[in-house]
Amino acid sequence: MEEYSKLISTVSLSLIITSYLVIELRNLRHSAYAYILQALLMCTLFVIFARQNPGLYYWALTAFVTKVVIIPYLLLRYIRRTTDQEFPPLIGYLGSILLVSIIILILFRVTHQYIEFLAPTPSATKEPFRTNLAVSLTIFILGLYCILSRRDAIKTVHGLLVLENGVHLSLVSLAPLLRETALIGIVTDVVVAAYLLLYIIFGVFEKFGSTDTFQLKGLRW
Amino acid sequence: MNSEILYLFIIPAVAGIAIFLFGKRSPLFREGIAVLGSGITFLLSLHIAISTTRGEVLSLFEDELRMDALGGLFAGLVAFIGLIAVIYSIPYMRKEVDKGVIPPERLRSYYGWIMLFISSMLLATTTNNIIMLWVIIEGTTLASVILVAFYWNRNALEAGYKYAMLLTVGITFALFGCILLYSGASPHIPSGLDPLKITEIAKVSGKIPKSVVLLSLALLLAGFGTKSGIIPFHTWLPDAHAEAPTPVSALLSGVMIKVGVYALIRTVTVFYPVYPETIKLFIVVLGILTMLVGIFMALMQDDLKRLLAYHSVSQMGYIITGLGVGTYLGIYGGLFHLLNHTLFKALLFLCVGAISSVAGTRLIHNLGGLGRKMPITALCFFVGALAMGGIPLFNGFMSKLTIFLACAKAGMLWATVLAVLTSLLTLFCLLHAAYRVFMGKAADAANPANQEIKEVSPLMWGGMLALALLCFIIGVYPQIVFPVLNESTRAISAMTALP
Repeated sequence: MEEYSKLISTVSLSLIITSYLVIELRNLRHSAYAYILQALLMCTLFVIFARQNPGLYYWALTAFVTKVVIIPYLLLRYIRRTTDQEFPPLIGYLGSILLVSIIILILFRVTHQYIEFLAPTPSATKEPFRTNLAVSLTIFILGLYCILSRRDAIKTVHGLLVLENGVHLSLVSLAPLLRETALIGIVTDVVVAAYLLLYIIFGVFEKFGSTDTFQLKGLRW
Repeated sequence: MNSEILYLFIIPAVAGIAIFLFGKRSPLFREGIAVLGSGITFLLSLHIAISTTRGEVLSLFEDELRMDALGGLFAGLVAFIGLIAVIYSIPYMRKEVDKGVIPPERLRSYYGWIMLFISSMLLATTTNNIIMLWVIIEGTTLASVILVAFYWNRNALEAGYKYAMLLTVGITFALFGCILLYSGASPHIPSGLDPLKITEIAKVSGKIPKSVVLLSLALLLAGFGTKSGIIPFHTWLPDAHAEAPTPVSALLSGVMIKVGVYALIRTVTVFYPVYPETIKLFIVVLGILTMLVGIFMALMQDDLKRLLAYHSVSQMGYIITGLGVGTYLGIYGGLFHLLNHTLFKALLFLCVGAISSVAGTRLIHNLGGLGRKMPITALCFFVGALAMGGIPLFNGFMSKLTIFLACAKAGMLWATVLAVLTSLLTLFCLLHAAYRVFMGKAADAANPANQEIKEVSPLMWGGMLALALLCFIIGVYPQIVFPVLNESTRAISAMTALP
């Protein structure tokens, strides 16, 4: 795995950049394209790891079908039926970029340095798994940040998908021998969750005339 | 081969698919299939619960599916409330169609989803695979999203969006926790055994690094805690319970949030022998806070369904507290209250459904004087209120008393005091609401529409009466549920070596 270490690190870090693009691009269609790019990078990473553990070829295939084909199809379909401009978020463009950069820097540094506290096995603390785990946690938190800071309902689905990608990425280091049935179960849940959320958001768009989650306040208290 | 475990979730799933395929043809194909499917499922769950109560552990596919007494108890509750909710739905949903609230063609989707929802909850009680447990728990959310947003109006869509988003985000934390647990345990599990099996993970819980245990515990509590409505992850609960059609509210509050507790029991209690005091104290504090926040929020409600939903949060606090104490008595009390809460909360939701179905509102300040017009509903509501308030002769009394004693015996007298206080507030809140709705005077008593109010159909009050009777019988003879609760507590002990 050492000969691929540099390649793995480069792809992993590119995953952070694509998360950044998914969150910060205000055009929802462009944001969905950034998600496709991230999914393709994840598939590439699975293929690289699969040279050591051939079972991961199935993961790459599953990730390709669900994350590169089905989910983007659903996202783009519902963006076409609603609007492709994100409703202005809580934090402005510059403020958000600054905040995201700080999150990335701190989280990646801290998790990479103190991975022993998080890694359940000694092998997970060694490269390239160390970087992989740090990247997974960073992407997970970036997804959470997107959900919490965005007003646009479709953008919160983007955030959820980034968050899920963070967890799936961690499987390479934490559970490389996971059976295909379990993996298929996990990704099926993600696809169905994305579909149902988009279906309901489309209903919200029809009834409220917008995908602004701030309008959803009829049920407070 | 214990293939009955397989049939337990396949029968309602097949019924659900059949309704989607043929439900358009006639009411018989949707209501009939739903009643038949849930009826057979209930009988099967009863058979399974009896077997597991006798100490049998049912297993299939090399222990991939496994059902002990705890699973049997949960399966029995899901199937029982499922059957009652389906029967209640027939007149209730027909009336919604008559009132023009929903178009008739949507009934097919309603019964189809409700059967898939029941099937997913039953599947959750059978799996012994930690990742599949997560997959199925998320599956229960996905199977119920359309039911929560079923009315497709502004409030229902808001509730549906919050429900799907909050639960999916929350449960993703649990996935991280499950993966860490599996990953931490797998190096210590001998080759040839499956590290994905919860029963194998439990055996090596003491060998998992401490930092990983703490992290996975936090993630599991956040994830499955969101599903169970534990504070601060409870915000989806009042909206979803209030906006869903009432039979669905009874299922959500009666059994779905318990499935979250089931996942917590299966995963978190694994660590009890390793880090007993810190973990237990933390869970008890969480339970007490849930109890208090729930009851204070309930006291502020005017909408009967939201009031009951916040009571669900509060009562989940009792269950979590009992389980958190971690002794035999605590876990017994927690499971006892879980069983009782399933019965009286489903009962109360069905009563509110009956009220809103005939009175057209569920706001307390608009209701009054319904006791004479709806005597069976009034009687059932009072039974539910007294049971939840913890009054002797009703089932809530014994389970609450067990939890109070368990806390006191574990040296947590402060928890007992706060739990008793919450119980008194619960009783006040419910009796106050019941008095205003059934005995008080309606705001517009002269309105001709109010004069026409009468008792609901027997298909609706039949289920309510059955639940009310059970609340009373268990209250008078609590020993009748001892075998199943004792065996369930022992099933947890077998995993955790309880004191």
